[in-house]
Amino acid sequence: MATEAVDNAYDDATLARRIIAAGPARDAAAEARLYASLAPRVRLYGRKHLRDAQRADDLVQDVLLMTFDRLSRGEIREPERIASFVLGACRQTVIDLKRGEARRARLLDTYGADLVAEGDDDAGPPDTQRLEHCLETLSHRERTVVLMTFYDDSPAEAVAQALGLAPGNVRVIRHRAVERLRRCIGGAEP
Amino acid sequence: MKARVTCAAPLETSELLGYWLGELPAEREAEVEEHLFACRECSAALGELVALGDAFRALLAGGGAAGVVPPEFVARLKAAGLRVREYRMEPQGSIDCTIAPHDDLVLAHLEAPLEGVERLDVVIHEIEARRTQRLEDVGFSAASREVVVVPKARDLRGIDKASQRVELIAVSPAGERLLGTYTFHHSRYRRG
Repeated sequence: MATEAVDNAYDDATLARRIIAAGPARDAAAEARLYASLAPRVRLYGRKHLRDAQRADDLVQDVLLMTFDRLSRGEIREPERIASFVLGACRQTVIDLKRGEARRARLLDTYGADLVAEGDDDAGPPDTQRLEHCLETLSHRERTVVLMTFYDDSPAEAVAQALGLAPGNVRVIRHRAVERLRRCIGGAEP
Repeated sequence: MKARVTCAAPLETSELLGYWLGELPAEREAEVEEHLFACRECSAALGELVALGDAFRALLAGGGAAGVVPPEFVARLKAAGLRVREYRMEPQGSIDCTIAPHDDLVLAHLEAPLEGVERLDVVIHEIEARRTQRLEDVGFSAASREVVVVPKARDLRGIDKASQRVELIAVSPAGERLLGTYTFHHSRYRRG
């Protein structure tokens, strides 16, 4: 599956090679671009596995600062597999999250100010006024299912149990409702 | 820096949701995770879904969402830190109610004999305004003895004095059956 998005990986790989080539002299522009590219993916991983937005932000910094450090030291030998490397680092870092505060502080001193100032490609949440309108275009049952699903990321089994429905039925309602919400929020439906 | 290529095998929305909600088998979850890290487009699609959840939470906390929810959901709202003012009523009940400045939400537990009910409609009569709204086929559990109606807190804050009559109606091919009537007399919050 990882080969399906080869051009994206190439973009990341190109940036990784630039960081490797710069070594200790640092290529700040490449670092900022690679950070912007990878941070949303790392943040999503963190939010899924840590279920906490602040800790997910911490994970972004931990993983990407460590990645840049290793790139600039020439310790990552396959820059074309940078996304895979970052995923592995995410998995390990979540396991080790409660350790390494001192290391994080040291890396922040080196790289942090530049990268935080650059921001990343993460999209913000949709406009709540638009969402309020779009929510009202759903049936009442769909509204209940999506509220319960999204409010605290409840799986279909939990929603189904609370509503006396089959999980498969909840998935169908959820899927239909989400597609309608996305079209409405995107402006394709009134 | 925006994605500039199209993923050759984009993950379906249902699979992205399944991944996010922890519904996928472990092996498939790992495959999806690999794909997400390699694919900016699918990752962005997942990001949109996650942002939707953020917006739902903001909407509820801001009093801009209304609906009918099962009682289990109320516990989750409170566990998330929302300050919830609750009213509980039996059929044919009547109650004085309000919303305080520090309340995030106001909700009404309407007790009713729901066993055997397949479809439930909620009819809301705004008495002074002479308006009626029918919420058809709301989400509920027949095993539960109540439904919870959540009005928009933001709208309640703007009301000085008003009354509402709410009816729960069981709908079946044989016809409709009134399960209960509940009357709310809302007035603006007065300290003390």
